[in-house]
Amino acid sequence: MAMHERLSFYAKRDSILHRLNPLTKLTLVFGFVLISFFAPFYWTPHLLILSGVIPLSFTGKVAREYFNASLRLILPAAGFLFIMQALFQPLEGEELFRIGFLHPTKESVMFAFANAMRIFLMVSSFTLFLLTTHPSELMSDLTRRGLPGQFAYVIISTIQILPQMQAKAQTIISAQRSRGLDTQSSFLKRAGSLIPLVGPLVFGSLVEVEERAIAIEARGFTSTKTKTSLHEIPDTNSDKMIRWILAALVLISLALRLWLS
Amino acid sequence: MAIVNLQNVTYTYPLTHSPVLQNINLRVNEGQFVSIIGPNGAGKSTLCYTIAGFVPHFFKGELTGTVEVADNESSKSNLHEWVLNVGLAFQNPFNQISGAKYTVFEELAFGLENIGVPRDEMKVRVEDAMKLTGISDLADRSPYSLSGGQQQRVALTSILVMQPKVLVLDEPTSQMDPIGTREVFGVIRKLAEQGMTVILVEHKVEWIAQFADRVIALKDGQILLEGTPGEVLTSPILEQSGFGISRYTSVARKAQGIGLWKNDQLPVTLDEAVEGFALTPSPSPRGRGEQ
Repeated sequence: MAMHERLSFYAKRDSILHRLNPLTKLTLVFGFVLISFFAPFYWTPHLLILSGVIPLSFTGKVAREYFNASLRLILPAAGFLFIMQALFQPLEGEELFRIGFLHPTKESVMFAFANAMRIFLMVSSFTLFLLTTHPSELMSDLTRRGLPGQFAYVIISTIQILPQMQAKAQTIISAQRSRGLDTQSSFLKRAGSLIPLVGPLVFGSLVEVEERAIAIEARGFTSTKTKTSLHEIPDTNSDKMIRWILAALVLISLALRLWLS
Repeated sequence: MAIVNLQNVTYTYPLTHSPVLQNINLRVNEGQFVSIIGPNGAGKSTLCYTIAGFVPHFFKGELTGTVEVADNESSKSNLHEWVLNVGLAFQNPFNQISGAKYTVFEELAFGLENIGVPRDEMKVRVEDAMKLTGISDLADRSPYSLSGGQQQRVALTSILVMQPKVLVLDEPTSQMDPIGTREVFGVIRKLAEQGMTVILVEHKVEWIAQFADRVIALKDGQILLEGTPGEVLTSPILEQSGFGISRYTSVARKAQGIGLWKNDQLPVTLDEAVEGFALTPSPSPRGRGEQ
């Protein structure tokens, strides 16, 4: 079970957001991001975060996980982006202060803030999406809508197999360390001593790929019949409505941008 | 009625010169349990792949002779249709997990999703197969969190749900500990009892002796011996040709040499050995201070 939890962000809850169709949630993410870039109003990204993503994290009953990820991962990255852009973006305008060659203007700070908020919106809404959507549900829904099965398989098996590869690498390292491999001295030496790890890991994985190909082939993976899905993934009228509204909003914000500029 | 029928099958892998299988003739009747034994490199796995259609459809190479299962010919079929006739499970349980599913139940449904089985039927088939192999309690676990024996039973079940006519098992217990081995053989025994046609490659001859209707000894791509487990597994030819034989057989053969084994038939399993030795009158308890 621990392995399962490490493999995806997904937090199992019962909420309206969890019950939404995966495509609807994906549309929400892309809709938010596109609107934040298209709409010609300065406050769009801020408004979307405050009145969109954050309330939705409560609706989805994942607010705790959402804030955890936001504060620890996304905010530092967005903050860094803000500082860099505010200091080095050469925008003309009212100079705020001057330290050496740095002379941020009010315009550059405003611009950097909006951009950082866009990034924050982008990553945090995607995080919210991952928190409330089971990966296999997403893939079976997309496959049902015409995404090639092979493509879906590659994505989802990669997510699952990475930790397994990690564990295998650890086993090989331990095995080689027990035979005298130096993995604890200087960086260069350690980097060099990783080379004997690559062979077994890569070739071992290639052999495994063949076996896995046989195993999934034995279960009709290349069957030409239309695939079915174990889980019924609801796609209600309100799902469709949300998607249409978002598409319309994206178009409206694009039109506004073109019209107002 | 022969459900599996191989006639004069010779196969050479691509980029190699000598054939791995030479002139194999093999008939397996419906409901029969056939075991294949042989030293490393004898062509056991290749034979499994041939019956399961992966030779030549997956591995390419040159195949002559005919491979028929349920009156269909392998070379005239597609692999994805063939796998519905013949189910294949092999050694490494870990590599048989699709990696695309998060629970055992989903994992078992994977094959059924691929071949387009409707949802309701899918659930029934998965639940029935889980009951048969005794893994119903694992349904909600992650396939990666299981023990080797459990994983192998999941792999077996994932093939069984496809309802193949023939089950080919390529050393399913070779990476198992004794507990895992017992678990997997427990499932195999059940399948045999239910009348499943099974072709099992296995080194553990003591287990084979309990299930197999027929044993085939393969060496250098050719059939060396064929017959009942009693005939084949105790044949002196096996030992001379580098096959692994049961320790009970070796003990009884030694005992036979010094007149302690009275039976004509040598044993393969512990029970047979005990039964056989029981026929030998016990030596008089000389030298033991009886009072």
